[in-house]
Amino acid sequence: MNARYGMVIDLDRCTGCGACMMACAAENNVPPIPQATPRTGLTPMLVRTVSNGMEGSARREVFIPITCMHCERETPCVSVCPQQAVEVDKATGIVMQMPQRCLGCRYCMTACPYHARYFNWWDPAWPAGMEKSLNPGVAVRMRGVVEKCNMCHARLHSAKAKAAAAGKREIDPADYVPACVEACPTAAIRFGNFADPDDPVSREAHSPDAFRFLTRLGTEPKLYYKSKEAWVRALAESKSANAEVQHG
Amino acid sequence: MKVTRRDLLMMGAAGTAGLLVTPVPWKLLDDVSIWSQNWPWIPQPTHGPVEVKQSFCTLCPNGCGMRVRMAAGWPVGVAGMGSHPISRGALCPLGYGAHQLNWHPQRLRTVRHRSNSASWEEARAAFAKACREGPIAIVDGYPGRAASSVFETFAQKRNGSYRAVLGPETRALVPYESWSGVPAAGLGYDLENAQTIVSFGAPLLDGWGAPGRFTRLWAERAAGLTEPQLRLIQVEALLPGTTPSRTATRAWQWVPVYAGAEAALAGGLARVLLDEHLVRARGPMPPMTIAEAADQTGLSTGALIELARTMVARHPVVVIANDGDPAIAALNVVLGAAGARGGIVRRTKLAEPHASAAADIDSARAVLIDSTVPWDFTPPTNVEVFRFAAWDGGSCTADWLLPAPGFLEEMTDVPSAPASAIETYAVAPSLLKAPPEVRSAAQFLGGIDSALMPTEKIIHARCADLFRGRAGTLQGTEATPVKKFASVQKLEEQLWKGAIWIDEPPRFAAFRCELKEWPASVRPAHRVGSSSVNWSRTWCAPVLPPLASKLYQESSLREAPEGRNV
Repeated sequence: MNARYGMVIDLDRCTGCGACMMACAAENNVPPIPQATPRTGLTPMLVRTVSNGMEGSARREVFIPITCMHCERETPCVSVCPQQAVEVDKATGIVMQMPQRCLGCRYCMTACPYHARYFNWWDPAWPAGMEKSLNPGVAVRMRGVVEKCNMCHARLHSAKAKAAAAGKREIDPADYVPACVEACPTAAIRFGNFADPDDPVSREAHSPDAFRFLTRLGTEPKLYYKSKEAWVRALAESKSANAEVQHG
Repeated sequence: MKVTRRDLLMMGAAGTAGLLVTPVPWKLLDDVSIWSQNWPWIPQPTHGPVEVKQSFCTLCPNGCGMRVRMAAGWPVGVAGMGSHPISRGALCPLGYGAHQLNWHPQRLRTVRHRSNSASWEEARAAFAKACREGPIAIVDGYPGRAASSVFETFAQKRNGSYRAVLGPETRALVPYESWSGVPAAGLGYDLENAQTIVSFGAPLLDGWGAPGRFTRLWAERAAGLTEPQLRLIQVEALLPGTTPSRTATRAWQWVPVYAGAEAALAGGLARVLLDEHLVRARGPMPPMTIAEAADQTGLSTGALIELARTMVARHPVVVIANDGDPAIAALNVVLGAAGARGGIVRRTKLAEPHASAAADIDSARAVLIDSTVPWDFTPPTNVEVFRFAAWDGGSCTADWLLPAPGFLEEMTDVPSAPASAIETYAVAPSLLKAPPEVRSAAQFLGGIDSALMPTEKIIHARCADLFRGRAGTLQGTEATPVKKFASVQKLEEQLWKGAIWIDEPPRFAAFRCELKEWPASVRPAHRVGSSSVNWSRTWCAPVLPPLASKLYQESSLREAPEGRNV
């Protein structure tokens, strides 16, 4: 059976620690570029800060981890790519980026409504010797290509290899957990298979507190967010009049 | 058969057309695009057998459990150890990039004497001379380790002093030392059983204690709930031009007070609790009236009374200070939280902790600073300073800068996390071979005094003590009571593989505080505004993992910590 992997992020639990950002970068061999800025850096997982715009003790802040939403329908990056370097994997629902095919036109970055794609402006480089600490499951991307979250696809490969070695066709869900999900100290980021109605994460996505960003575009993103606070849920369609967003 | 020019042209054209319908040109195009993205100067990961080893983070005293993924003998990824009783599978963000620290450009590899290259023999001779000439002092960042025992023994033998640099969590427990006779290093907060936590500026959600400890509790029992099982009340000043801390904006209730008025608020709250008989205690009575306290804090009298009532509405309640202000600590005594379930408890002890934070080092002839001491520790100016460090944080005033083993390069034991309620003991194995040019401070002292017991032997002796004590459980892949181990070797073997010894729960009655008078507030020297805190407060490495640039440089999530090389 085909899977539809997705996440539910409980914003009430997120403390904005940034462990997901660090774990994502370490897992995916993202280079530490000294000259990178918020505009030119590579942050496939990026936590943004939004406040309710109030002052004093009425002020509330929420931290929103933003990554590729893995849009299921009319996936904007897929439709604009002239190289077929992006595709929605039918077996997993993951929007895959193939850097080998990418020619660096950055149409996909313009098309992505969530600003979840990043361009490699520099050759990947690490301090001398540090390449020994790179994750052997993930290839290093070179300058001139776009990259984004692929839900730690290397981990899916490992889970499949483990299942195959055990003579099984289906992977054990416990073997496939993306790095950001594993790193979250408050378990705010949860990962599951939306094709499985019994998956607890799949059920959570249908709770009344769950929402998705920019659903009016009809792209059916597979990243759900959750909050009990009305002003946070109102952010989904950017209707919050007084929210302050710190762009990262 | 005669081949004409026309035939040749036709053959060429047909061949070219035919080639286009074969996969050859497309495969070539594909390969060229791949080759052109794999130039020799593009770094490639090392491939080799992958294995996961258990260890413990040694970059701050919390000693969080880690699973280190090793490929071809090198660490390629770090994740939390779910079975660790304190960190419970969580790490701080910096921990996720710690495996790359050993290749940081600021890594120290040579002995330096006042910015000049020197040798270990010269450093050893200089320290031995200092030992002969006058008292020496040794400063330790993680007290309670086997190496700490080496430091203490060495200092005692030479009439020197041993000083532990305590983190903010332990410093907040220092006032109880004089009221109970129990050293602060042996005390902890029983947060797991508390129902109301009143934090006086402590950054509970943003770098307080082991990263996974309070955040996991808060996520399970408080986050997103209007009526949470765990009420977090954050008392914190909002200074002009600053934003409130993450703990304040995520707390169940945030009480903004004037800056520096926390002690007055503690006094006012104690006054309400005692006047209204909301607690069992009958003293000590704070000298100020409720109206005076309200005036000093900026709260209304009604709000102060309401806050006191809210505090005791859900028991157990405990107050956590950001630093060692005795007035805030006294509020716990009034609340009955000292020596109570869900309050401040005395851990059962593996060894008697030492209260040496106040040891005098100013009159020493020389000071040796261990690599576990945070880089911003300022030694006295008129003494010869021997500073061990694995990385150079810049602006070093030490006379001698001595290269120490880096992350995972040294086998060390890991005692209980500061402020934890239960005693634990673990051994962080050396997963990487240390470069030949580095030495630990304990090895250095062993080179001067060969009668000192090496750290390995001390760890063996401690394991033997655990075995003889027959108390507690060893938590590895499964939990095994210590009394079920047939020999000390079996127990040691498990500890070496990354298991952690967990003592039995604390005995609450073992800690009592005698406080006759309300203490005067002492504004601590290390006052840190909650909004500016970070995990690196007790981080011993003067540099941060290069990947921390994602947090500090490429996003506006948080500001880079002061004085750290990002």
